[in-house]
Amino acid sequence: MNDYVIETKQLTKVYGGQTAVNNASIHVEQGRIYGLLGRNGAGKTTIMEMILGLTSATSGDFTVFGASLKGQEKKIYPRIGAIIEKPGFYPNLTGTENLEIFAKLRGTPYPSAVKNALDVVGLPYKDRKTFGKYSLGMKQRLGIANAIMHDPELLILDEPTNGLDPIGIAEMREYIKRLSTERGKTVMISSHILSEIALLADDIGIIDHGVLLEESSMRKLEKKNRKYILLQVSNTAQAILVLEQVFNQKDYTVHDENTLRLYDTGLDMSAINKTLINGGVDVISSALCNDTLEDYFKRITGGAGIA
Amino acid sequence: MLKLIQTEFMKLRRRKLVWLMLLAALVMPLFAFIYFNYFGETGVDPIQFYRWSAFGYTLWIILPFVLGTLCTILMYDEKQYDMLKQLWIVPVSKMEYIYSKFFVVFIYSVCFMLITAIASVLFSVLPGYVVFEWGSILYLLKKCIEIGVITTFAILPILAIAASQKGYILPVCTTLVYTFLGFFIVSINPYLHPISSMSVIIMRSNDIPGIVQAINIPLAFLCIAIWDIVALLVANISLERRK
Repeated sequence: MNDYVIETKQLTKVYGGQTAVNNASIHVEQGRIYGLLGRNGAGKTTIMEMILGLTSATSGDFTVFGASLKGQEKKIYPRIGAIIEKPGFYPNLTGTENLEIFAKLRGTPYPSAVKNALDVVGLPYKDRKTFGKYSLGMKQRLGIANAIMHDPELLILDEPTNGLDPIGIAEMREYIKRLSTERGKTVMISSHILSEIALLADDIGIIDHGVLLEESSMRKLEKKNRKYILLQVSNTAQAILVLEQVFNQKDYTVHDENTLRLYDTGLDMSAINKTLINGGVDVISSALCNDTLEDYFKRITGGAGIA
Repeated sequence: MLKLIQTEFMKLRRRKLVWLMLLAALVMPLFAFIYFNYFGETGVDPIQFYRWSAFGYTLWIILPFVLGTLCTILMYDEKQYDMLKQLWIVPVSKMEYIYSKFFVVFIYSVCFMLITAIASVLFSVLPGYVVFEWGSILYLLKKCIEIGVITTFAILPILAIAASQKGYILPVCTTLVYTFLGFFIVSINPYLHPISSMSVIIMRSNDIPGIVQAINIPLAFLCIAIWDIVALLVANISLERRK
């Protein structure tokens, strides 16, 4: 049985008459980075808010660390660090003062936690600049510092790289990866930027109009989207026999009785065609294909792409 | 809870308006000074002076309005800048949150009235209108602390309204209406409004000259208690709904 840090079952949220999240069943495994990918307004934030108990679910159920959050907030919340939507802090206080407030409320594992958290996100300690004068990127960094300051086991980050410059995004990505690989932290991260999720996540959930369309490991998804030779033939069974015997191919998938994908793209396509025809298989078409994650996203959402 | 209260005071750094509002504590002592200076009276009965400087409009209008504004300020930023989500996942409970705000208002109110008391003594004794005597000063301090404490409870409904609103306009307008309503209703039925009930409790011994009231202390406490319980329920429900 998998050790899920977050597990939702048929989670649904209806605002007024509008369904924001529809029967979402999400599984976040321990020590992995789960990327929740979807367009703006797809329901990512609502899912995260429900998991954090910030909004109640209309129906469905969820567990965090294997337990229901309700009634166990004091046990579970200290194990979570989160940013939901834009990071909110007191505008009249400096970044350090803001973090000191949360450090006092939560309690921190060591006295220099505030300084360490600020160092990690590249913000100055004991700076005199108040939060109200921070740029969007600095605000976002402070939000991340607040989320990681108490060394939580689970990070729930709602579009954490919004407003960061490209170098900041790369630094943050590396940091989140390190948290997962070196320290075993579990991360649930949402984004509408596909490339961000593709570079960071171990597992991915694709959400569109409140419906979780796909949940898969990134490895499986990459396999689905890697380069391949698409063959349309008169008889796939016969084609496979020929390919296995002549080219010693095992890495293929059969999609229907006429279509198969061959993943060894180093093969000579004209040789394949010739061999199949010689083997009594009619080749209707053959093409080298390269599906990107975006193509896949388009395909399963049935619409336009994503950034 | 203590940590929460400490952080409430940390949040007040660089809040100039909060500290400037304390200057309002000097308004009536200054006015009393000008009044007695105008008539050139000396040897004034200390209670008569304090009635002007501390037990008059400070009690009825100035302190409730200042506290109502403070309640709005305390609540405004956290809602405006979407900070409540961060607080709830610390976790901070809704009632702890309200109590911590209430405690800040309580301390502020007592400090405000102590400033009024000190200013009243300075403006009365230094110019020589009142002869210095410990008895009257202790009476003034006792009454000022009483006013500071009870007004905090009387203003709790404004804290609830500030908690239920995202903006500041409605809470500030409500503070104005609430304050003046308390002032005007006292002559009709003081047991309908917390501020007028509070005045009944303060003046229970009929020891403030010029103000004589029919006294029903339990009824006055009951009025404040009912308003406060409803206010706490409203605050809790509105914070829950915000989820």
